[in-house]
Amino acid sequence: MQEDIVRMQKIVKTFPGVKALDDVSFYLKSGEVMALLGENGAGKSTLVKILSGVYPKDGGTIEVFGSEIREMTTQKARELGIAIIHQELNMCQHLTVAENIFLGRERTRGLVLSEKEMNKEAAGILRRLNIDLDPEEPVGNLAVSKQQMVEIAKALSMNARILIMDEPTSALTSKEINDLFTIIKKLKKESCGIVYISHRLEELKHIIDRVTIMRDGRFITSMNFDQKRMEEIISHMVGREIKQKFPRVSCRKGERILEIRNLNAGRMVRGINLELYEGEIVGIAGLMGAGRTETTRAIFGADPKETGQIFLDGKEVTIHNVEDSIKAGIVLAPEDRKKDGLCTKLSIRDNIALPNLDVLCGKLGIVSRKKERKMTDETVDSLKIKLANAEVDAGSLSGGNQQKVVVGKWLARNSRVVIFDEPTRGIDVAAKVEIYNLMNELKKKGIGVLFVSSEMPEVLGISDRIIIMCDGKITGEMAATEATQDQILKFATQFDRKIS
Amino acid sequence: MNSKRQSWFKRLFAVRGMGQVVTVGVGLIVMCVVFGIINPTFFSGKNVANLLRQIAPILLIGIGQSYVLITGNIDLSIGSVVGMSCMISATMMTKGLNPWTAVLLTLMCCLIVGAVNGLLVAKCKLPPFIATLGTMTIARGVAQIVNNNYNTDAIGDGAKGFRDFFYYGKVAGVYNTVIIAIVLWLVFNFLLSKTRTGRHIYAIGSNIEASKLSGVNIVATTTKAYLVSSVSSCVVGLVICATSGMGTMDAGNAYEMYAVAASVIGGVSTLGGQGILIGTVIGASIWGVLQNGLQFAGAPVAIRNIVIGAIVVISVLIDVIVRSGKFGKKNKVENQVLDQEALS
Repeated sequence: MQEDIVRMQKIVKTFPGVKALDDVSFYLKSGEVMALLGENGAGKSTLVKILSGVYPKDGGTIEVFGSEIREMTTQKARELGIAIIHQELNMCQHLTVAENIFLGRERTRGLVLSEKEMNKEAAGILRRLNIDLDPEEPVGNLAVSKQQMVEIAKALSMNARILIMDEPTSALTSKEINDLFTIIKKLKKESCGIVYISHRLEELKHIIDRVTIMRDGRFITSMNFDQKRMEEIISHMVGREIKQKFPRVSCRKGERILEIRNLNAGRMVRGINLELYEGEIVGIAGLMGAGRTETTRAIFGADPKETGQIFLDGKEVTIHNVEDSIKAGIVLAPEDRKKDGLCTKLSIRDNIALPNLDVLCGKLGIVSRKKERKMTDETVDSLKIKLANAEVDAGSLSGGNQQKVVVGKWLARNSRVVIFDEPTRGIDVAAKVEIYNLMNELKKKGIGVLFVSSEMPEVLGISDRIIIMCDGKITGEMAATEATQDQILKFATQFDRKIS
Repeated sequence: MNSKRQSWFKRLFAVRGMGQVVTVGVGLIVMCVVFGIINPTFFSGKNVANLLRQIAPILLIGIGQSYVLITGNIDLSIGSVVGMSCMISATMMTKGLNPWTAVLLTLMCCLIVGAVNGLLVAKCKLPPFIATLGTMTIARGVAQIVNNNYNTDAIGDGAKGFRDFFYYGKVAGVYNTVIIAIVLWLVFNFLLSKTRTGRHIYAIGSNIEASKLSGVNIVATTTKAYLVSSVSSCVVGLVICATSGMGTMDAGNAYEMYAVAASVIGGVSTLGGQGILIGTVIGASIWGVLQNGLQFAGAPVAIRNIVIGAIVVISVLIDVIVRSGKFGKKNKVENQVLDQEALS
């Protein structure tokens, strides 16, 4: 009989103005993988950060291995064998793999660091986990997915008995995901307890034993995992039934809005030709590193291009920079919402107004507050952005609402083509649907919609036409109705050049 | 290609700034040769000895600033602490205090500044620019008030041992000042490259969040860096006091910028997490040679300032352009393409 190794009861946590956790209970048994599910803002990250000592709790009790812990600190958590792999990479880029693994617990002989020993140990850890990396490589030289593997190796090297993984697969390739799952299965056999947070519900069936579902800072339910009960799980997460995960709308295909001819921009964008018509959504699929983001940035003028002609509604437009692109009516909702899409410290109103100041300013360059407020209100209404008022920081909104602000600022100026890069990354199930509905609305209005996504189901579910890229080139194109995941993957891995 | 062990030669030129050190090292040699050609007395034993003695204080403050820069912060109070150290020690000695007692007390005062800097930045979370700007102003004020807003009188004959130790004395033909600088460099280099504290200093400069989550004591580490800085500033102040035999209130003026220049030329990044102290040696040497050479060539002080200021700006500019691209998005995506090999 597996015993509880973690018992959190009636946990309360308040941040200024927000009750993040309201009487939440959570139990973990040894040797099991427990999925912690919930929408963004449900409190999952907060809960595990309390368990790992990053935040102090405001109320409730925590018991680990049978003894109550009054005040959990990161130090104590480590002593107890609790390790957490965070969602955002926490690597010191200038330090090597081994140095990162041993950060905070360096081995020394007296005052002097035992570098050779640590390198050797790190090499051993990596080998055992089947990770092919040089421990003396500076982490900053590694790809994001490799960095995440280092993060995992670091947590595991601390002989964790309780491992918390927050979105561990978001940056991994499918081979690495398989490697990770193999490691997880091994840890289960060793009686490790694992808390697994992920929005990628399709992955759960490979490793999950039980699920705990949270919503709005409250504990909803806990049950054994069963793939067949997925809809029930989702409805618990969301508090209502999601009738359709991918609302598809069919429209009549109209005129050609956008034509890109022979776009070349560095080694990631090679000879791109594509077309976009009214009444269709085009999805761009491919693996990480295929050049999709680079292509969108080259179209949008964010990166310089070597060659390439862009035709909008039949007329050629010259785009040398982002300003040209915006004036022409081609806009981009970037991949990293918080970093590139919004000014998180500015208010929602400021963000919506920012690219539209030319319209909102009077003759002397003074911003008309009245016009600004009108634009903000209209945008918030039409996109149904949930907020207390438009003066709050854009950074305080949930992922889905943030995305709406990112898009909203473009819609306020009647854009012709909206390009989305990973539109629903880090957004929960219900908000995803709202974004899809938004894309459909644009499609219905005759605005061109082009989107890049790494989530295959999303690409298959929402696009009318799918373009697949690999290593900087377009390798395939097909109607969504004829496409399958395997076909997309085949084109996505069609490399035409060996890396020397 | 990630798992292959690189030859020692390649690894020497890895991230840790050796590439820049070698480049500026070559630049230093070229500079010396050029100045030597212009005026062959540049290479005379007398000039070399003096040159090294001029470089020594720059190296010391360079070490202090390098420590702080590597943590991702900056220390603007260096110059004022130099002045404060000079004035406090001189004033105490003119009042009849034993020079070595004066040195001890001066050291304690400077350590206080270092500790305050560390706490303001790490504990109170003030931006380092603002925090050290504040301590800079206060320290300069202390330097002025310590002798009632006057430069001090001569520190007297009782201080001969002190003056010899810090400035006039020689050992085996090498000035004491140089030896002090070398010894301190050895100590601080060891601390930075071989101890846990040193590792943590690089870590918090590289990623302070990651360090915090890994249990690194941010306050302690930041404060240690600022303490090293104020200790080196203290020593330089004592050297100046020994040199002139009195305390001058504006000693050390603008030294913090020279310290930044020496550090950045030598490969320390103002963005944190990067740089090695051997580079600071080269940076300080280039600085010293430039000063010495321009002096020899008869350039007025104003020209020297302009040249030096321009070099500071250019070095930091190069630093920012090169560094922020190095671990930026561009490289990561290229690496991801290499990653796809695993799938095909």
